[in-house]
Amino acid sequence: MAYPLTRQLWRPVVLALAVLAPGLAQAAESSAVTSPRVTATLLSSRDAVAPGERFQVALVQKIAPGWHTYWANPGDSGEPTRIAWTLSQGATASEIQWPAPKAIPVEPLVNFGFEGTVLLPVEITVPAEAKIGERLTLQAAATWLVCEKICIPEEGTLTLDLPVASAAVADAAAESRIEGTRARLPAPAGFRGRLAAEGEALALMLPGLPAAATDLRFFPLSDTLIDHAAAQDMRRAGDAAALRLARSSAFKIAGGEIAGVLTYRESGLSRALSVTADVDPVLVGAAAAPATPPATVSIPLPAEGADLTLWAALLFAFAGGLILNLMPCVLPVLFIKALGFAQLAQASRSQVREQGLLFLAGVLVTFMALATLVIALGALGTSVGWGFQLQSPPLVIALAVVMTLIGLNLLGAFEIGASAAGVGHGLASRGGRLGAFMTGALAVVVATPCTAPFMGAAIGYAVTQPPLLGLSVFLSLALGFALPVVALSFAPGLLRLLPKPGRWMLVLKQAFAFPMFATAIWLIWVASVQAGPGGVLAALVAVLAAGFVVWLVGVTRGSGFGRLASSLAAVLVACGAGWFVVQSAVPEATQARAGDTQVWTPERVVALQAEGRPVFVNFTAAWCITCLANERVALSRQEVKDAFAELKVVYLKADWTNRNSQIAMALAEQGRAGVPLYLFYPGSKGAQPEILPQLLTPDMVVTAARRAAGKEVRTAAR
Amino acid sequence: MKAHLTRQTLIAGLALAGFSLAAAPALAQSAAKIGAPAPAFEAVDSDGKTRKLSEFAGKTVILEWTNHDCPYVRKHYTSATMQTLQKDMAKEGVVWLSVISSPVGEQGHVDGAKANELTKSRNAAPAAVLLDPNSKVARAYGATTTPHMYIIDPKGTLAYMGAIDDKPSAGAASLEGAKSYVRQAVAELKAGKPVSEASTKAYGCAVKYAPVS
Repeated sequence: MAYPLTRQLWRPVVLALAVLAPGLAQAAESSAVTSPRVTATLLSSRDAVAPGERFQVALVQKIAPGWHTYWANPGDSGEPTRIAWTLSQGATASEIQWPAPKAIPVEPLVNFGFEGTVLLPVEITVPAEAKIGERLTLQAAATWLVCEKICIPEEGTLTLDLPVASAAVADAAAESRIEGTRARLPAPAGFRGRLAAEGEALALMLPGLPAAATDLRFFPLSDTLIDHAAAQDMRRAGDAAALRLARSSAFKIAGGEIAGVLTYRESGLSRALSVTADVDPVLVGAAAAPATPPATVSIPLPAEGADLTLWAALLFAFAGGLILNLMPCVLPVLFIKALGFAQLAQASRSQVREQGLLFLAGVLVTFMALATLVIALGALGTSVGWGFQLQSPPLVIALAVVMTLIGLNLLGAFEIGASAAGVGHGLASRGGRLGAFMTGALAVVVATPCTAPFMGAAIGYAVTQPPLLGLSVFLSLALGFALPVVALSFAPGLLRLLPKPGRWMLVLKQAFAFPMFATAIWLIWVASVQAGPGGVLAALVAVLAAGFVVWLVGVTRGSGFGRLASSLAAVLVACGAGWFVVQSAVPEATQARAGDTQVWTPERVVALQAEGRPVFVNFTAAWCITCLANERVALSRQEVKDAFAELKVVYLKADWTNRNSQIAMALAEQGRAGVPLYLFYPGSKGAQPEILPQLLTPDMVVTAARRAAGKEVRTAAR
Repeated sequence: MKAHLTRQTLIAGLALAGFSLAAAPALAQSAAKIGAPAPAFEAVDSDGKTRKLSEFAGKTVILEWTNHDCPYVRKHYTSATMQTLQKDMAKEGVVWLSVISSPVGEQGHVDGAKANELTKSRNAAPAAVLLDPNSKVARAYGATTTPHMYIIDPKGTLAYMGAIDDKPSAGAASLEGAKSYVRQAVAELKAGKPVSEASTKAYGCAVKYAPVS
């Protein structure tokens, strides 16, 4: 930005000087040092310098095809280019401002460096005392290693001699070349990363990456951090990403932070960020994980989700799916389905079985579609975590409408598909093959707001695994979810346990409308949390419009013209309401809404631990029913509050109701893809947290608090 | 909404189909690990004799990856630093094995006769020079540079791997005041102490690897 302005300002000056003092203007490029491999020069953005100014010079290496020179960390072999400066007038030179390197494979090794022509910019500071009329001599004794397969160390002394004038004189062409390079230097990242142990490997957490970033590669400045040639696997959660890095065989971290350059592609363009990451204290000073660990080396606790075996994840997923059946949003749908079986059972057992299998198909297809979406979006680098769909207010509202319609249907306010099925059993008990399939799909849709216990770890595992493994975990979840209904359809014995169909069925059916309305109210509350009063208005208008539409379709059924007109009106109303919802339900930024608790940040945890305070972190979201249940039955109980007060536990809340990359990153760090997650950090610096189960009891929390406060010996070493 | 979802699903499906797992390169899994048994190997030496790591059991063994045309190796040989180190180690009863892993046609590749001639002309003193033109030993140890040093203790455990000294440079001036990681590790082993700097970042030219056959 500054450059075209400078050029315009200085052009007349250059001309004037050229006319007035022809001897003053100098070539702003030194004579070259040449080898068959590299032609090196020193380029200056100034023809004349002014006292007190800073300006840019660059070491230019024109490298022959097939050869390369090296970045600050040369990778598996090689040596970075170095410059030793001798400057007159007391001028000083900065370090080399390194452009982003390229990974240059020399199978099976990898070097970090440059090919083609590279400019290595250096900033020169001219002291204010520099004497006008004298010369500023810049002497760069540069050494570099240039390699193809073989390596040649080269060196050269490059000298520039610039006049010191009262006003600086820019060399437009040179300045444009140097500034062009500087514009592409790695930009400071707008976030701090975090480096943690992940078993034998390292995990570099990167919050706040652009959603479309792909092809991530981290180039550490230190050459003793990572195995340079190893693949860097990325996983994403929300707009946070984590790179899995293999440790260097000479692994060593000196301080509390590491730095490096992250390169990635975004919409076809190569980009680079300069990243600094805080280092998990357990890694500092640690040597490469030794085969026989000495007693003094602390082994970091593995993250729960990341450490699950496939079998355990499958088992957890299956159990989680099974429990999902009991969730208040799902139970009514399934119960009505079961009642439908009971009715059908009078007619034909084979028909019941067929219905059961079609229900299973509906569940599997819908689950797999959702899982594929979750995993693929993650792989494409878009977003993701389980429950992510509930971070969108319009989707929450849509679910509220679905719940309301199911409720109205159960009450008998309208019926669907009467003409097709012949008998009006209503939405959930709709006869016919399509009906059974759709019931399965509907059950999955209404189940999405509920994360059952055991599901968290399994889904966390699923999204961090290769797609096929991940899908198999979701498949197990779907099978567990479908099991009760399918079992019912195959076991006439079970069906016989149900009372004979009669009036009680109608009453129960109507009664089940109310859990659905309750779920709808809860979802509308979620929308209010996400989008404020506008969200509530949008949700209620959507419910009203949906109710109107089904009523309209109902009353005009039968008459051809009336039906056409009402369908048209229905479509119009539905579209209008949909547009209104999308317009008004804009999420608000989630901020401190934690009541008597404090808002979580990773820095806060570190600071509190350093003070010796145990820390409890509740990762929650308004749309997470398990989270709310836990808060009600355990976390807000008096005995828990008392224990926290007595043990000086600090209660931090991380609210994931709306998107938050820091929280997504913290979840990913524990191998999770969604909430709830409860962590208890002991009150000592850098100590690893204990992960509490997803269903809490007051006892459990109090005992964990005692453990974290060191009042009780940890019995179960995980 | 529906059409949108279908498209998303399609993209997702395609992405899944196109998803392939990047296999970590072989070196990342090299068995060389401090504190673990050093990878066993078998190689022909410059006299045509088959040598095995197991024949040196009970002795400290040093492996030196070398390539006589690499400027970093030349720094240590033209200054006679390497030869002095080899002789001092021999006096300590340490077995010194120079390993040449360059395949035919690559810089540093030599046959037995040339290897012996190099030893003689440079007045070097390795116990043996191992020829590893298929880079098998290099892969087993994960050698990246020339020089790259490995020290195996008398029990066959890998005690040191990394650079020869702490001055990563090809310039002769860098030898002055350089700390020899090899001398330090051998002295500590002899004193029965744990090696204080057991793995360091090796520096030098890349080992020229033969393609995996």
